[in-house]
Amino acid sequence: MSTLWITVRADGDRGGMDSYEDRGVSAGRDDGSGPGAPQAPRAPGIPGSGIAALSLRYQAVAALALAVVGVVACVHLGMVFLHVAPSNTLTKQNGEAIDDWVYPEFEQNWKLFAPNPLQQNIAVQVRAQVRTAGGQWKTTGWIDLSAQDGEAIRGNLLPSHTVQNALRRAWDFYTASHDNADKPNGMRGALSERYVRRTVMLRLAQQDLGGEIERIQVRSETKWVKAPSWSDEKTNTRPAHRVLPWWTVTEADLPEGARSASEAAR
Amino acid sequence: MSEPDRTPPPTPSPRTFVPARSAGARRLARAVQRVTSTALGPYQSAVVRIGFSLTWLLFLLFEYPHRRELYGPDGPWDWDMAQQLIGNNHAFTALMWSQSTVWFEIVYGLAVVSAALLMVGWRTRTMSVLFMIGVLSLQNRSIFMGDGGDNVIHLMAIYLVLTRCGQVWSLDARRDAGRADRVGPVLWVALGACLAAVTFTGEIDGGWLLIFWGLLAVHALWWAAGRYAPGQPRILLDVVTNVVHNAGLVVIMAEVCLVYATAGWYKIQGSRWQDGTALYYPLHLDYFSPWPGLSGLLASSGVIVMLLTYGTVVVQVAFPFTLFNRRVKNVLLAVMIAEHAAIAVLLGLPFFSLAMIAADAVFLPTGFLRRVGHRAARVRPRRGDVEAAPVERGPREEQVRTLVE
Repeated sequence: MSTLWITVRADGDRGGMDSYEDRGVSAGRDDGSGPGAPQAPRAPGIPGSGIAALSLRYQAVAALALAVVGVVACVHLGMVFLHVAPSNTLTKQNGEAIDDWVYPEFEQNWKLFAPNPLQQNIAVQVRAQVRTAGGQWKTTGWIDLSAQDGEAIRGNLLPSHTVQNALRRAWDFYTASHDNADKPNGMRGALSERYVRRTVMLRLAQQDLGGEIERIQVRSETKWVKAPSWSDEKTNTRPAHRVLPWWTVTEADLPEGARSASEAAR
Repeated sequence: MSEPDRTPPPTPSPRTFVPARSAGARRLARAVQRVTSTALGPYQSAVVRIGFSLTWLLFLLFEYPHRRELYGPDGPWDWDMAQQLIGNNHAFTALMWSQSTVWFEIVYGLAVVSAALLMVGWRTRTMSVLFMIGVLSLQNRSIFMGDGGDNVIHLMAIYLVLTRCGQVWSLDARRDAGRADRVGPVLWVALGACLAAVTFTGEIDGGWLLIFWGLLAVHALWWAAGRYAPGQPRILLDVVTNVVHNAGLVVIMAEVCLVYATAGWYKIQGSRWQDGTALYYPLHLDYFSPWPGLSGLLASSGVIVMLLTYGTVVVQVAFPFTLFNRRVKNVLLAVMIAEHAAIAVLLGLPFFSLAMIAADAVFLPTGFLRRVGHRAARVRPRRGDVEAAPVERGPREEQVRTLVE
């Protein structure tokens, strides 16, 4: 997620390869890129085609088209360049114009495992308060949904987006649209809460918790990846938890799959 | 592109266009003539078309059992939530036109069919538009399901609409130019009716309406020019189409450069890429290690990890600049394709990697692509092609079609 753009406009939804802003390292060593695109050589146009085959009047139209297309292409590339570039003089002055051009369809994020790869395993876990058929309440232990994702990914040549992206990005979305006190920032915050709940409920529907789910509590467990054996760095491998408040499950939190399961439980 | 019975139009020499006094002006005139007369990179644009439509097709087929969870009206990201987000960002998606499951299935089905038809190059220009509609509709419906692979497919689906990507390796290129085309007008009318219906419901906003009606109008113009004005107007259309194609191809190439430049330059700033351990970490992320044994083995040697870490950054940062040298560019291209193939398996990102390889392919040399094409044609000689030769016709001789033509 590009934090750069979240400040300007809370978007930055595409992409979603795990990257990690390295706050320890600053020093803006910024540079752009060299676009440039030479073209494989081809036979020149045969007579009877191209602008040379046109009469003067048509040539004028063709020249105009060439100019317009050329300008639009250059502007587009300029805009996309500024969109992916770090915050700079031009983007600060023209942030809105760039956003208007780029969003929503040309949004992109190529910080692939950059500036640093993610160095933590962030697991989303859930526990539930369940009412059993006998009318008793019981609280389940923490269920590690990310571990279930991991199991589905392990040994799989073609992991599905449902196990590789769904929960992981739902949690990213939640953390990006909430502050540390779990206060949501606007519409996106509220949406992300509902999304996490529905994602979680869909997963829980696939397992038998011994009754109907009344309330759920979600937490994340963050564990640093242990530093490589050849490195002398020390890693604190104690997991850190971010625990969200209990949520009472409502009808709106149940996707199709979860709803049928809950009806069955009833 | 030319009708067989067309009388050659009067051909003023390039000199009448630019009074070529200096060498610079002559060179400019030649360049203008080239980009207006030729849709450049026919093999490159075809391989990008095939690569992306294949990636998207495989993805859709593979995710078919999960399609409702991913993009369905009642998935975790339900219709109302999508409505709220899209009301805010105005992304295009046909899936918001109706909440019904039937509509969802239709759109998913159309996305599959248009990807398959674009891949084989049947009515390429039309299919590229439907392909884009399919990609945007599904991806914009559930934006939080995607990753970098979806992102690059999204962009290329839009850019491909601009290109004449069916000049070679397509059914369009094989079609007999002399025969009257009945399917084209039927397709045009059918799609026009659909667009009229959608316009009437008021579900699409102005910008997109303008684009779709404009595309439809351009196809009609092509048909009319071919039929009634085979001279200058027809050439003018060809010129404009070539210009748009060439600009589109440049944008595709520049986009690939931006991907690598961004990925590379941001990495340079990261402490883990500097200390040579970056690669070690993704290999130990549970979401990106389908083969922990293999990942562990690769990550066990500090020197290998460092070489691969530095190598990745060097290749990504250097790539755009190597375009000025063919040989170096080709070497780096091979390295990048190999790296993506490795990422597909090691990090469990097959569709991302396939999409990136499809994007890289825009820089493959023509000679190489033609050789691959010949070999492919020799392996599978199809009915009727045996004498017509596996030698695909060059882009000059064959039809470049728009919808109706």
